[in-house]
Amino acid sequence: MNRILVIDDAATVRMYHRKILGDAGWHTDEASNGVEALERVHAQDDDTAFDLYVVDVNMPRMDGYSFVRELRRLPARHQAPVVMVSTEAKAPDASAAFDAGSNGYLVKPARPSGLVLTAALLLGDRPAALKAAAGVKP
Amino acid sequence: MTTGRVLAPPVISESDFEKFAEFFHRKTGMHFEPNKRYFVDKRLVERIQATGAQDFRAWFVALRFEADGAELQQLVNVMTVNETYFFRESYQFDCMVNHMLNEVAARKRPGGRIRIWSIPSSTGEEPYSIAIYLLERWAKIEQYEVEILSSDIDTHVLEAAQRGIYSPRSVAQLPKPYLKKYFSPQGEGEWRISRELVESVEFSRVNLTDPADTRRFRDIDIVFCRNLLIYFDDLSRRVAAEAMFDAMAPGGFICLGHSESMSRMSSLFTLRRFPDALVYQRPL
Amino acid sequence: MALKKSTEGTGLRPVEDRDYTRGTDGLVAQLQDADITVRRWAARDLAAHPRAAEAVCARLAHESDVSVRAVLFSSAAQLGGGVVVNALLPLLRSEDAGLRNGAIEVLSGLPDAVAPHIDRLLHDADSDVRIFTVNLLGDLQHAQVPQWLAQVLLHEPAVNVVGAAIEVLAEVGTTASLPALRSAAQRFADDAYIGFSVDLAIARIATP
Repeated sequence: MNRILVIDDAATVRMYHRKILGDAGWHTDEASNGVEALERVHAQDDDTAFDLYVVDVNMPRMDGYSFVRELRRLPARHQAPVVMVSTEAKAPDASAAFDAGSNGYLVKPARPSGLVLTAALLLGDRPAALKAAAGVKP
Repeated sequence: MTTGRVLAPPVISESDFEKFAEFFHRKTGMHFEPNKRYFVDKRLVERIQATGAQDFRAWFVALRFEADGAELQQLVNVMTVNETYFFRESYQFDCMVNHMLNEVAARKRPGGRIRIWSIPSSTGEEPYSIAIYLLERWAKIEQYEVEILSSDIDTHVLEAAQRGIYSPRSVAQLPKPYLKKYFSPQGEGEWRISRELVESVEFSRVNLTDPADTRRFRDIDIVFCRNLLIYFDDLSRRVAAEAMFDAMAPGGFICLGHSESMSRMSSLFTLRRFPDALVYQRPL
Repeated sequence: MALKKSTEGTGLRPVEDRDYTRGTDGLVAQLQDADITVRRWAARDLAAHPRAAEAVCARLAHESDVSVRAVLFSSAAQLGGGVVVNALLPLLRSEDAGLRNGAIEVLSGLPDAVAPHIDRLLHDADSDVRIFTVNLLGDLQHAQVPQWLAQVLLHEPAVNVVGAAIEVLAEVGTTASLPALRSAAQRFADDAYIGFSVDLAIARIATP
């Protein structure tokens, strides 16, 4: 069962993303900033390790890019794809995302089917990807 | 009260609980799952009645907008279990002798000095637990000079720590051989810790948010600061965490209480996961 | 070796005495020292020097070490007041997330000094600045917070600013906030997140 860590400082956003991802059939957990997220990561053992991270760019204490940089320094068993989620009104900071080591970038508010499709592709979950794609409006 | 009618106690709805849980988690990092309803509701009612608020909503508004943080402090007090005894949260002491001390020692020359700081000392159970662990469970104790420093803001508890007399409840977690070895019975079930152990701890009065007090501490290799910072307001917590950062040697470790987290205090420390415990480290 | 004996019997004594008599100007000069520890200690001591408020805040944009920065922010927070607020407000526009978030955290602890600026910030041309201002309101102890947020819900064009405001209202909103919440749900009727978060906020506010 795929496990996803949702990281955002807003409780409502965490609830919202967890509901969308949970409805798609995945297990989810949450953290409210980068430091807390690293604690969740370290608290897992091999069979509860996360398969995907969905992380807000702008958080207090430790922002999304810093979290990804710290994550990429950890041993292999903690590594998994990262989707960054941003409210930035400016163009997405693609170079920062690349440099930090992220695998996807969504602009908020993320449409539910868009989030699920991105997640499904990164998790290699074909049935979920097909289902989500059917829901994406042209 | 003019009517003599007893008011029904306030009711905590599910959305009240969720509102409280989110706020409390945001401020302290502590989680209360729905299965903790009984525990939480009881204490919320207690606080609502103690403050004379009409209902949960009125109490929560006062809490959210109060200037001095006094009610939040009270709330943290009632929501956390507040007890000290020998070998409390001993998995951190296991981590100390199995891992942290070995890493620290590897950076010292033979015979070098290792400093451990226990704050708050409270009535001494923590620093003396550390001393016993070092003597009984650290293989390398004879190869280094270990200093145990212990501080508290309250001089009464410091005096009690130096008297070293403990209740049966306080020593209940100690293996019997250690109790026999390091304590002598005092009658009425009490135990007195050996003078040797008392002398192996250096006690001091310290206010963690006062730079005049904390600047005296340098090159600390391991800090135990458990179940103290949770009671501070946001700013004091940061100031205290930064003071401890300054007091620590590069590579030094700090252990917080099991329900505490640096994620609400400071991003200066690196997280380290050991088999026994999750601790924080000042970067090398 | 083993456990070191406390050498002065059972008396309490300072662990080490440090000589540190330095005046405000000396400390401010040390904020530029090549040594990180010297800078950090100076930053910490300046928390007790109100005259240094501007210098402490000015140093932030130039300080590269995160530990010194953290202490500069803590000292700014302890100093408080209008000088600190004026010096930190520009950091809301910084590209550096650490500077921005540090400034927001300090500002959110200075409600009376920050309040006169809130309206202007909520109408800033940059929607990111408007979001950060809403984030700031999330921790601000000021009675007007629910009203400021309601204005955002009624008039703010950017969906993410509105989303951030709904989040805060879920915690601090009152029944007086309900019309603004419903208005936001209508204005952004196509947005699944806005609908979700308005429903949640209403559930948190409305009497069961």
